[in-house]
Amino acid sequence: MPKPDFGFAFAPNRALDLSAPLLPEVQVVLETEPSIRACMACGQCAAVCTAGAFTPLAFYRLVLQLRGGDVAAVGERARHCMLCGKCQMTCPRGVNIRNAVLLMAALAPPKP
Amino acid sequence: MNASEYLPKDEVAIIGGGPAGMQTALALSERGFSVRIYEQKEQLGGHLKGWHHLFPHGVAASDLLGQLKEQVLARAVPLHLGQSVDRLQKVGAGWVLWQGERPLGRAGVVVLANGFALFDARRKEEYGYGLYPSVLTAADLEAVFRKEQPWPFGSDRMAPQVGFVHCVGSRDLKCGSPHCSKLCCVTAVKQAMAVKSLFPEAQVYCFYMDLRMHGLEYEELYRKAQVDYGVRFIRGRLSEAAPGQGKRLHVKAEDTLQGRPLHLQLDMLVLMSGMVPAFLLEQQERAVFLKEPVFGSGFVPVQGLLAAGSVVQQEGLFASGACKGPATLPEVFADAAAVAREVEQYLKSLKAVAHA
Repeated sequence: MPKPDFGFAFAPNRALDLSAPLLPEVQVVLETEPSIRACMACGQCAAVCTAGAFTPLAFYRLVLQLRGGDVAAVGERARHCMLCGKCQMTCPRGVNIRNAVLLMAALAPPKP
Repeated sequence: MNASEYLPKDEVAIIGGGPAGMQTALALSERGFSVRIYEQKEQLGGHLKGWHHLFPHGVAASDLLGQLKEQVLARAVPLHLGQSVDRLQKVGAGWVLWQGERPLGRAGVVVLANGFALFDARRKEEYGYGLYPSVLTAADLEAVFRKEQPWPFGSDRMAPQVGFVHCVGSRDLKCGSPHCSKLCCVTAVKQAMAVKSLFPEAQVYCFYMDLRMHGLEYEELYRKAQVDYGVRFIRGRLSEAAPGQGKRLHVKAEDTLQGRPLHLQLDMLVLMSGMVPAFLLEQQERAVFLKEPVFGSGFVPVQGLLAAGSVVQQEGLFASGACKGPATLPEVFADAAAVAREVEQYLKSLKAVAHA
């Protein structure tokens, strides 16, 4: 008998699997800069970001993607940052964003 | 019974022996009024009896309950335990309290302090409460903390995966509960931290829609849960829980911040069941009935200022605490003082008329 389908199915290639443990390199980033955990995705960092106006950089999204294990994309996007620090001045949760971005940028394979 | 038979004008009957009832009784007793508590259960305490420790500071619930009971005993407040008032009859300026066909007592003023009920989580069928043993409510988890109930996973699991679902039976028109129960958010944070303290290797997730950290130091607790305890907050309402690998549950949700579906295997799913009315107040000309709530029943309606305790349309009937809507303990205690003051004003106004 076919399994009943209530329409709750989703495309497995797009689905996040939270059961998978955090990648070791992601854990290192979170442990080196624990203030990243305080991010509540308010988006103020992205709203003030100059680099974000021209590139796909948005710090709060990097945090979400980091936990999702998408380290290549996180590293790539983090490299758009100019380290101007406006995001860090505005962050209501006191996340040490510059250090976080540097750690994230180091996740991408080095440029040849 | 006619009006002239009625005498004990200054006597205040308090229906409910939980924190609201006890604190209102204490506040009135301290002002020199004679009060009695009618409690349907055999013990004082209400929902507080079921808690292990309290947010935001982790005070043991039994300590607070013990202090309240001690004060009630020290003031020698008469207790009518195991008496469930289901009807109030207006006689003269006062009330006669009934349980079925049995009169339980009389009072000049009645204060409703019979609190709230917890939403029946079985009604959210997609979460499988009552079907899967690893699905608990927040109240069940408190019982686990109190060692009255076992953990739903084996003791060999040192790194359990645990999920908390916020807003179960709150902010949900399909359940007839449009309101926010407002203390589940911080309760989930408190419980998530407690689970992480007991199982440091656990992965704990909170599935929320908004986090409503309205109280003193709640927001700080939320940040602490994130940074110091590594609790993960996922914005998105769980769509369903189904049997997963082994004894685990397979749950699905949308991560609305990433715009991507997500799924995971859990050893325990905790449903933050909201606060719903414990009774339906039916007001008539000279009688008030306390009936079983029906779909969409509201809390006790009050009039006047926001903190007012006077029940709509009824002189000499007041309401204190969470029977008026979701409230935390500090709010209940503050409300008890406000209601006591209103009761005092009311009784004084009666005397002024009598002496005029």
